[in-house]
Amino acid sequence: MIQKRLIGVITVKQGWAVQSIGYRRHLPMGKPEVVAENLDRWGVDEILLQCIDRSRQGLGPDLALLERISRKGLATPLTYQGGIRDAADGVAVVQAGAERIAMDSLLRDNPHRAAELASRLGAQALIGALPLALVGGVPQWLDHRNGRAGPIPPEVAAVLKGGAISELLVVDWQHEGQANGFDEALLDQWPLPSLPLIAFGGLSEAAQLRRVLSRPAVAAAAVGNFLSWREHAVQRLKGQLLGMPLRAPAYAQPCCG
Amino acid sequence: MSGMSGMNGMSGMNGHRRITAGLVDYGAGNLASVARALTGLGYRARISRDIETLGSTDVLVLPGVGAFPAAMAALHQHRLVDFIQGQARRGQPIIGICLGMQLLAHSSAEQGFTTGLGLIPGQVLPLQTARWHIGWNSMEVTTDDPLLRPSDGLSMYFNHSFVFHAPAEYTAAVSRVDDAPDRAFAVAVRRNNIVGLQFHPEKSQLAGRALLKNVIEGLLP
Repeated sequence: MIQKRLIGVITVKQGWAVQSIGYRRHLPMGKPEVVAENLDRWGVDEILLQCIDRSRQGLGPDLALLERISRKGLATPLTYQGGIRDAADGVAVVQAGAERIAMDSLLRDNPHRAAELASRLGAQALIGALPLALVGGVPQWLDHRNGRAGPIPPEVAAVLKGGAISELLVVDWQHEGQANGFDEALLDQWPLPSLPLIAFGGLSEAAQLRRVLSRPAVAAAAVGNFLSWREHAVQRLKGQLLGMPLRAPAYAQPCCG
Repeated sequence: MSGMSGMNGMSGMNGHRRITAGLVDYGAGNLASVARALTGLGYRARISRDIETLGSTDVLVLPGVGAFPAAMAALHQHRLVDFIQGQARRGQPIIGICLGMQLLAHSSAEQGFTTGLGLIPGQVLPLQTARWHIGWNSMEVTTDDPLLRPSDGLSMYFNHSFVFHAPAEYTAAVSRVDDAPDRAFAVAVRRNNIVGLQFHPEKSQLAGRALLKNVIEGLLP
């Protein structure tokens, strides 16, 4: 039976892994490839690498970083987000070592290109990533480049409903970096029930993760720097979540030989 | 085209000889991840679309991420279809991974009808029990095949929405999205020297790498 996933998130700004707090403050942590190596070694189910300044600066995906991470020989599935402009960028990201792609700015700027990406890579490789907050019970989608938020436009909703992406990353951007802060109402108010959800932003403690992962619509929970604060945090957290439909805690390395 | 060689000489040996895997580069795959996994196991990995280079390797690996029609078009464009079929007839071991497994089939219904490599009987059709099969799932090995038997019950990483419908004699392992006993689908197929793996062994941590090693070394004489 398919398991739900615990995803480790690495947020990258100006080439450095950072602790991100509410999409406003970013505190440097170190080299992203080292954080990735740790998450891999600790046996996290999946890694999400999000480079938050690539779209803002029009830089395209950070293929050099992907290459550095690829050289580590990680044995954990990798999703990449940041700077993807078109199908060619998406193909390049996969060839550089990512299994899947998450999109935010591309969905906003040109939602039809998401469908083009699906025809090249398959919808199973694509995730929509939406930083959301509830205003009057309605999800408002933040444009992280200018700080403005609004409802999800109909053309984007149509793409999301149309099968071009396979999962949706629901980001509680206001509570990102705040322990136990994830607003679970975001999951209740999400208007497209057919899309499996990945919850992210302020998830840190086992009790809240257990509640979130118990929801049928939630396929995965993503945790950021809370997994990087202490050694073996993945094993520890999974140990606290025993009984949930998660893969049993297991170390990914060292490899057989 | 590019190449990559393993540095670890302590494993991946067949007798005293280092095993060389040829990764078929048709422009639609996660070549880097597979190559790193292979070199991590101690094998040489040659990424190429040159038939002389690929034909000189011990085992062909056909990775793949994407849609079936685009992948087959790329294989035709690079004149690799006849080559792969010929190597299969000659007995060169071939391993298809994810989309690479599906390409081994006779045909696929993804984005319309497309003819595949036809190396293992069967059709690729949409998953019936869900729209996608994404994440970690356990595999149930349905044969006594020593290449796969040690992996029975272990969790592997999947990411697909179409499945290979193969006759039972070629189905080596199955998984299921839910607990329904009658809704299993093939996740490993085998016909002689040809093996298909629907999951990503290169990204399935220890379990996947152990399986990959077992399959490669089990296919070699």
